[in-house]
Amino acid sequence: MFSTVSDDLQQTTSHKVVLPFYAYAAISFLVACIVLMLHTNVVKQHYFHPHTLAITHIMALGWGTMIILGASHQLLPVLVEGKLDSYLLATSTFIFTAIGIPILAIGFYLFHTGWMLQVGAILINVGIVCYVVNVFASSFNSKKRNVHAWYMIAASLWLFSTVFFGLLLVFNFNKNILPKDSLSYLTIHAHLGLIGWFLMLVIGVGSRLIPMFLISKYTNNRQLWWIFGLINASLISFIIFKTMEYNSSIYYISIALAFIGIILFVRHCFLSYKVRIRKKVDEQMKTSLLSVVQMVFPFLALLFVLILLPSGTHSNWSILYGFCFFFGWITAIILGMTFKTLTFIVWNKVYHKNAHAGKTPVPKELFNEKMYTAMLIAYIVGFLVFAIGIIILNDILLKSGAFALLLSAILYVINSGITLFHKPTNA
Amino acid sequence: MNTNVTTNNNALCELALKGLYFVDDPEVGLNVVDLGLIYELNFDEDAKKLDATMTLTSQFCPMGESITSNVLQSLTDAFQDWYINLHLTYEPAWDSSMISPEGKEFLGQ
Repeated sequence: MFSTVSDDLQQTTSHKVVLPFYAYAAISFLVACIVLMLHTNVVKQHYFHPHTLAITHIMALGWGTMIILGASHQLLPVLVEGKLDSYLLATSTFIFTAIGIPILAIGFYLFHTGWMLQVGAILINVGIVCYVVNVFASSFNSKKRNVHAWYMIAASLWLFSTVFFGLLLVFNFNKNILPKDSLSYLTIHAHLGLIGWFLMLVIGVGSRLIPMFLISKYTNNRQLWWIFGLINASLISFIIFKTMEYNSSIYYISIALAFIGIILFVRHCFLSYKVRIRKKVDEQMKTSLLSVVQMVFPFLALLFVLILLPSGTHSNWSILYGFCFFFGWITAIILGMTFKTLTFIVWNKVYHKNAHAGKTPVPKELFNEKMYTAMLIAYIVGFLVFAIGIIILNDILLKSGAFALLLSAILYVINSGITLFHKPTNA
Repeated sequence: MNTNVTTNNNALCELALKGLYFVDDPEVGLNVVDLGLIYELNFDEDAKKLDATMTLTSQFCPMGESITSNVLQSLTDAFQDWYINLHLTYEPAWDSSMISPEGKEFLGQ
């Protein structure tokens, strides 16, 4: 006869919207590692070097932002307890950013400060405006707005601030539309993205996903609101101090605020882990938990920057700071979470209607676990060797580290492909 | 069968559970029965109507749509000429005490 489901069930976002972001991000990670491998000597230069800017933007936009955009379109319904407002806006976000990012990256690589950077930046801005509108519409259409939704809303606004400020900096290269040259504002632009976008979003999403994947009932909204306040206060205070041109010691206030926020987030993850129902933690979750610990590394590098940079030397510590963020914390969390979220999305696509028909593979069987372990080893070795190479400025270590990172990127792309092109195997 | 499912007809309930043991929560890798997600199965043989009540491990479970649709399909397969009504509830909220002893063993508890 016929059957019905009566419920207020979560609406899942279509895989068609989400998967292109994952595929794009995987290729970007590979490209960034190839460029890094070819230009390891950039760590000896000032961070305002064309190749460094190119690698940074491929990592920040092509890798980190694209995969987070994809995942957040998938997770937005979970976070806002509603549904994604517009597939058209989501697709527009992908199209505009996917075209804009390579144009911008090539513009930086060639240091073509004219139309290339401008067109790339404009396209990225259009894409991000589509995303912000979608986040707002989805959040405010939902009956409830929990703390995670506010993280998402705030992070999307900081993302827009980052790319819009980036657009101004690009135009400022050729025409003075800002009081100073673009280099003077680079740290504000970078921290809008790192703290406002990446950190806010990762904490907002992570605080929901980590307990969920561990099957842990731990929740502490008050603590999450405290973290929200601390991270935002850290970023806003940093922008004020930087704009007012205060001396470097005052920046410890901003660092302390963010650091306390991160420690509270680490505590949140630890307590979720402690009361988890599933005792055996899989490799992907271990990688994600490792990335939580890796959040501390950029802070250590930053302290060295603040202590050593006034002397005018040791600019490699600034590179280390950025490296620890993009190739450290952000990459580790993506490597771990990709094979949690992507496998779910593909599983849902392939087995959505027929998981009852016989024993179907579980999501973790949709990628090659041995390859994942090899990728992880290559990544950890590459990260540590390259970081040491930056500190002691050793060419062999830099090349070896970059090679290991490239190897991890190749394995990541292959394994993502295995998941993306998975075919049904059940009876 | 060692389950906490409330039912008004043990024989038909057993038939329903046979199929439901093949429906897994894909994240946990454990079937919905041992996980304790199935709360109630009430049968009306005269009207050929089955009212099933279930929950999810989390109200925000991204796999919820897939799990419920597979539960519904499994019940439809088992009772082909019946009207199946599946209710999703979060009252009471699911917790680990609802997992069967077999399920707990599977999860390493």
